[in-house]
Amino acid sequence: MENTLIPVIDFCIHHKVEITFIQSLADYGLVHTKTIEKNVFINTDDLSKLEKFLRLSQDLSINLEGIHAVSHLLDQLYKMEVEMLSLKNELNYYKQIQ
Amino acid sequence: MDYIDYYKILDLKKSASADEIKKAYRKFARKHHPDLNPNNEEANKKFQQINEANEVLSDPDKRKKYDKYGKDWQHADQLDAQQKQQRQYQSQGGNPFGGGGGGFEGGDFSDFFSSMFGGGGGRSNQRSPFRGQDYTSDIKLNLLDVYTTHKQTLTVNGKQVRITIPAGVENGQKIKLPGYGAPGANNGPPGDLYISFSIADHPKFKRKGNDLHIQEDLDLYTAVLGGEKIIETPSGKVKLNIPAPTQPDSTLRLKGKGFPVYKKENQFGDLYIKWQVKLPTSLTEEQKELFEKLSKL
Repeated sequence: MENTLIPVIDFCIHHKVEITFIQSLADYGLVHTKTIEKNVFINTDDLSKLEKFLRLSQDLSINLEGIHAVSHLLDQLYKMEVEMLSLKNELNYYKQIQ
Repeated sequence: MDYIDYYKILDLKKSASADEIKKAYRKFARKHHPDLNPNNEEANKKFQQINEANEVLSDPDKRKKYDKYGKDWQHADQLDAQQKQQRQYQSQGGNPFGGGGGGFEGGDFSDFFSSMFGGGGGRSNQRSPFRGQDYTSDIKLNLLDVYTTHKQTLTVNGKQVRITIPAGVENGQKIKLPGYGAPGANNGPPGDLYISFSIADHPKFKRKGNDLHIQEDLDLYTAVLGGEKIIETPSGKVKLNIPAPTQPDSTLRLKGKGFPVYKKENQFGDLYIKWQVKLPTSLTEEQKELFEKLSKL
């Protein structure tokens, strides 16, 4: 999987968003930033997550506390979906070998 | 293009104020936002309609045109000009439906406008594209299932996806299938499919990296005097020469008889065999005498 760092400032310029938004998300533990020689970077693997938080903020005017809660609930939903898919696939597997 | 009632989409009266429109938009957008409804195509479509309705109704000028012309609101200026021309023509005694000019009820105009609105251009391009949701799937396999490369069909979000599972995949390993996620919205790219492998332990073979470890029983006489033994490996049976003597818990390595190395054809780890020497559980009188003789030698 890709594991490239991009400067946070580039992301902010591209999406026209304040750098404090990313810092706040990082403070909440919602994204992970890495500081190298005073420059802050984000992992490209985190980009889609970061863009999702940005949309929640801009489209729906959800504040950071709300994003935190939504993110937690989406994680739970995701885990349940994975478990459900896994069980479905396991069921298919046993159906195939019967 | 079918007429879409933007007021109905946002559950508003035609007399709704700007503030009511804003509130209704936020209420429905929160309910149907694609990020809050992952893998839900219906919510995705609904969100596009809500955006479209809000885009028109929240702009007083667009709203006025929509109220007057419905689905053809984007061509309000052209329609106004046509109406003006029509009125002038009628006042001059001409037939608005007879000549090349055409009226609003004429088939040519309907087709013309339908083609203008139906192609997905215009409004849809004004909205930002959404990348489709990533899908994830967990595959449970037995250890020997991943000894060879094989194909498997998965059900992901109601669709059948046939994938190749390469030999040597490890427990917990994730693979990414780009573009196999949910389709994007507003011409956005599709998401990806992430598959993680959960590989069950085998009762006999223990995997450590690319090496396999097994324990095999060895009777006392073969352990002491040496001999031959046939053992099962994942690639078939192997006949081994047992040296004399072989100590309990000693290990024998069979090079290249372990697990295939992931995505490296014809490369295999090693198979380690640990000998469990089994003593007889009972002795005949003759055996006992012979062991006693041996012990005194």
